[in-house]
Amino acid sequence: MLPGIKRLAPFEWEVPIGTVPGMRVPGRFFLSDELAKTLEDGAVQQLANVATMPGIIKNSLAMPDIHWGYGFPIGGVAAFSIEDGVISPGGVGFDINCGVRILTTPLQEKDLKKKRELIERLFNAVPTGVGAKSTLRLSYKELESMLTGGARWAVRQGFGMESDLLHCEEQGAMGGADPGAVSAKARQRGMPQSGTLGAGNHFLEIQAVREIFHEKAAGSCGLFPGQICIMIHCGSRGLGHQVCTEHLRVLEGATKKYGIILPDRQLACAPILSPEGKAYFGAMAASANYAWANRQVIMHMVRQVFSEMFDIPYEEMTLVYDVAHNVAKMEEHIVDGRRMIVCVHRKGATRAFGPGAPDLPREYVSLGQPVIIPGSMGTSSFLLHGTQEAMVRTFGSTCHGSGRIMSRTKAKKALSGQEVKESLAAEGIIVRAPHDGAIADEAPGVYKPSDEVVRVVDSAGISRLIARFVPLGVIKG
Amino acid sequence: MSFEELEHTADIRIRVEAATLEELFSEAAQALMTIMYGSISPGNIRRHVEMDADDIISLIQEFLSEILFISEVEDLVFSGAEVRIAGNNLIADLTGEPFSKMKHLGGREVKGISYSDLSIGRERDSYILEVIFDV
Repeated sequence: MLPGIKRLAPFEWEVPIGTVPGMRVPGRFFLSDELAKTLEDGAVQQLANVATMPGIIKNSLAMPDIHWGYGFPIGGVAAFSIEDGVISPGGVGFDINCGVRILTTPLQEKDLKKKRELIERLFNAVPTGVGAKSTLRLSYKELESMLTGGARWAVRQGFGMESDLLHCEEQGAMGGADPGAVSAKARQRGMPQSGTLGAGNHFLEIQAVREIFHEKAAGSCGLFPGQICIMIHCGSRGLGHQVCTEHLRVLEGATKKYGIILPDRQLACAPILSPEGKAYFGAMAASANYAWANRQVIMHMVRQVFSEMFDIPYEEMTLVYDVAHNVAKMEEHIVDGRRMIVCVHRKGATRAFGPGAPDLPREYVSLGQPVIIPGSMGTSSFLLHGTQEAMVRTFGSTCHGSGRIMSRTKAKKALSGQEVKESLAAEGIIVRAPHDGAIADEAPGVYKPSDEVVRVVDSAGISRLIARFVPLGVIKG
Repeated sequence: MSFEELEHTADIRIRVEAATLEELFSEAAQALMTIMYGSISPGNIRRHVEMDADDIISLIQEFLSEILFISEVEDLVFSGAEVRIAGNNLIADLTGEPFSKMKHLGGREVKGISYSDLSIGRERDSYILEVIFDV
């Protein structure tokens, strides 16, 4: 680990001011000794880089899934003052509102006799992988409504139920979306891709509830042991990627215009209230809404397949929750005893609001916001809930996944896609992907162990465990 | 094809080497396509791009972003790029073939071209590019 890093608590470390020149606040990250073994210097450097940005409040933070990314580290969280702070696509990423949702079914493991057929039907229903095209035919006007309405637009189009919306962060549509700031090129990419899963680490997974840590909370979420659930992980597709690419260019100019000095060009930024900052926020919010609509449409396809195949009512497949993990949002937090609106960037981190937060539906008010942590292919996923502790220490944030530890080049050398597929099949996990290379890239061994990552956030108190899920079948993009 | 994949935990980081700046851009374009589609082969579809940027780093970032864009919206897989560079101005003629599920499913979706650790340098008689693709 880089010199000068101090341990503050069993799971909390500080990167002091001065680690890179120009740091305005210290960096702080959450990690166990076990996870510290795979921490890259590059990730710490990126955490320190973020601390140099104007208007950053309290700390540049990282969650225990911290790893080397571009701009912010993955797992990075930072809040900026509205008056003198900045907004940056480097704190959100190319895949705006990449996120995850989990859906329950009334089925139990024993009901899942035709698993292979189910996976095949889902694979055919949900367009997946490089070059996949949507079955939706959106008009220009419909895309515009999608960009402002998000999941609400999707429900109005018949893709789901009104109650789904209450179970999404921001009720599935962020305010402040400005379709005017989304270019024709971004729309051109977005039109044929709505309702497609994408590729890379995106997936659709059939899971079973294997362990319950908090019975009352699990009950509030509609979970029971052995229950079949479905997890959907995807984002804003080419539309969000294009928005990031184009606004990065504008913000590069703005960085110079406003005289901001940065250690990494990917952190290009502008004052939040500047025309460039506002345009990025509006386009980013519109892309976030596209992603919420996208996950809503995919969930609808999944529900249809389950309904037909198992003869279960559509309404009995309830959405537990949907979280974003690449986004910047205006949120109210208490800073030095004062209630204020700040711009929180989460790049590979999840909102984890505690009990009583204003955005929560009635059934989660006393519990805190559900937090979904996908494992890697073949390892457990987890449901947690947000805490008051997170509100105080991490601007209501926690980890987003398990975090990679092995590069894709090494992963490919270690095991072929075919080998990974066979070893997972031996454990009863069926994997379906457009090609085997996609499987090797995302094999279980390339990620930090998901149970260790959630143990850290649970022990540090920034979210608490509710349940553990095991994978039964995976569709990889 | 002269590019190599370097270590990067989350994304794809590559190093490209070429004798001239023009060849470096051309090789980088082919590297991007190879990563996205597994293998590329010559075709007779042509596309023309022209752009200006503030500096050479922005120029390569914008050039690769543009290729990514055209490839995705037009379903084209480029295998060649004839590049002319004057200062921070670029003109390129791309050649390629239509995307085919049979041929081009061996790759990985690239989400964007990152500015982080993006560099163009000289080593002896060669130009060296290092770039991270977000996947």
